[in-house]
Amino acid sequence: MTTRRGFLATLVAASSWPAISWADAGNPAFLAAAKDADGSYALFGLSMTGEDRFRIPLPDRGHAATAHPTAPEAVAFARRPGTFALVIDCVSGRLVQKLDAPTGRHFYGHGAFIGDGDILCTAENEIETGQGRIGLWSRSRGYARIGEIATGGIGPHDVKALPDDTLVVANGGIRTHPDSGRKKLNIDTMRPNLTYLGSDGTIHEQVESDPALHQNSLRHLALGPDGLVAFAFQWEGDPGESPPLLGLHRRGEAIQLLTADLSEQIAMKGYAGSIAADHERACVAITSPRGGRVHMFGFDGAFQGVVRRADVCGIGAADHGFVATDGLGGILSLVDGEVRPLAAQPRAWDNHLIAI
Amino acid sequence: MRLTLVALILSLASPALADTEAVIRDHILPGQAAFSAGTRALAEAAQADCTAAALQPAYNTAFDAWMGISHLRLGPVEEAGRYQAIAFWPDARGLTEKTLRRLIAEEDPVVNTPHGYAEVSVAARGLFALDYMLYDEDFASYEAGSYSCALVQAITADLADLAGKIEAEWLSGFAETLRSAGQPGNTTYLSAREVTQALFTQLTTALEFDADQRLGQPMGTFERPRPKRAEARRSGRSLRNVTLSLEALRQMASLLAEPPPAETLAAFDMSLKNAERLDDPAFAGVETPQGRLKVEALQQNIRAIRTAAIEEVGTSLGVSAGFNSADGD
Repeated sequence: MTTRRGFLATLVAASSWPAISWADAGNPAFLAAAKDADGSYALFGLSMTGEDRFRIPLPDRGHAATAHPTAPEAVAFARRPGTFALVIDCVSGRLVQKLDAPTGRHFYGHGAFIGDGDILCTAENEIETGQGRIGLWSRSRGYARIGEIATGGIGPHDVKALPDDTLVVANGGIRTHPDSGRKKLNIDTMRPNLTYLGSDGTIHEQVESDPALHQNSLRHLALGPDGLVAFAFQWEGDPGESPPLLGLHRRGEAIQLLTADLSEQIAMKGYAGSIAADHERACVAITSPRGGRVHMFGFDGAFQGVVRRADVCGIGAADHGFVATDGLGGILSLVDGEVRPLAAQPRAWDNHLIAI
Repeated sequence: MRLTLVALILSLASPALADTEAVIRDHILPGQAAFSAGTRALAEAAQADCTAAALQPAYNTAFDAWMGISHLRLGPVEEAGRYQAIAFWPDARGLTEKTLRRLIAEEDPVVNTPHGYAEVSVAARGLFALDYMLYDEDFASYEAGSYSCALVQAITADLADLAGKIEAEWLSGFAETLRSAGQPGNTTYLSAREVTQALFTQLTTALEFDADQRLGQPMGTFERPRPKRAEARRSGRSLRNVTLSLEALRQMASLLAEPPPAETLAAFDMSLKNAERLDDPAFAGVETPQGRLKVEALQQNIRAIRTAAIEEVGTSLGVSAGFNSADGD
């Protein structure tokens, strides 16, 4: 798999490019937010083998982060309904800038870069109407807010950029209002969708799954090769049901929903917390902290197996396979269904492990 | 002297670990042995006389034993879909009934091969398949020598096989996996603290299951109660299962923390007293507002145990409910 890091290393070797790169940041392979042993929150840069590369304090609980494609810079997002995003220089471990959601907006916790890294896109809630928005920020203009576009749905949670800068948005479908915290306001009528957007706001394509599964919140995304989009669900319907928690999609095709065998599907407890795709091994993994499980499927849709680990949630693809993090501080390597502990830190890793 | 002081300060500063050995010795292993023995007796009884009335006592003994360990969702029972193969519930789509009807209609020969039943859908295995076969009027009137008789013999043999394997794996390996947490080669538990966390999580998750599922499923909503969703309602075990679950959890809580968690145990006692007073074995009463209110009161009691356990047991052990599993985002 060509990681940004690998790509960059090639580029640096080929041209002796003088610009500051991810190598100058100690080459972190992953970013992850955590609650530290003393109760404070921080963002960590981690090596491929789980060692700390840097620690940057966060003002409140974090959720996910997005790494700039070339510069050693990351944007860490508050957990919803937070209003801060922090631009962090991963070389110095310094806070470059704090972004505040505009009045009447809050962040959902994910974002992505487009335009060769010049435009940051942030998933947001227009609080008054509950309509999803992608906020657009210009990096070259000091992360000035330069506009926003509608996501074509409610509760856009995750957003990813395809190689042609089309944005893929997971409109989770759940309306929340900061006045009522994280309370879900529209479970009976929610209708999540997957939307492909141009940065001008044009909706190129929008797909929903089966109406019987309208309470399956489409929340997290991972990109495969050749336009493959994988997405993970969180079930808000009857807890006695065990719906699919993973879907695959390609533009112009129908959604393909994937399930494990019945007993494993039940054991996931209707909840996938994170998703990652391993291009080299052509597989995708979803985690369930509630079920204490990681499920792996091939890009062909075949269930490949399960790894059990309490409170596991963050997952990312590394050179050697998947790496997962958990709420007990563990960092684990998952290769061919075998678990190998890489590190155990005295902290609780938060929902996501972001591969750089 | 100084070293002793340092040791004392350290021991005060870091929270206690769970008494894992006591939980294994006095709670987990006896529970596994009882379930293994109870299911073996049930399978033997089915060989002697497969008819429903004859099997009901042994079935209830085996189910009682299951309630002593059903909260322990770690180790061997989590392998290869065993938990669902023993206890396929809740079953919102009625898969148990559908699968049993299909097997009987087709007289599927899978019941005749030794260990063949392990290949059948988990929906038609275990205790909840037996709840239909031994108590549902559409299923339970079979005679000796019939297909249903062979089916019941296959289900009970498969269940005994599962329980025996789980007990054997606890004795031959998983008890040691808990004890050897943090030692080289133990990739399941990276520290003793992880075992403490795991045992504590079994307690809080099971209390949640009692409140949200065992009571919450039949309660449904105020507008739409769902009494037919009560767990094992055909055998009238719904309330009994809640009571036995609480008794097992109370025992585990008392072993987990030293000194015994007084407020948590008092909250258990309050729930058990109210469960005993609730004269509604299969929660059929949820259909009336008064009946529903009583079940809801028990649900509140059980949630109060969980709150007390998190505050008292969790604090003394320095653990909390799962950081990510309790979060949701």
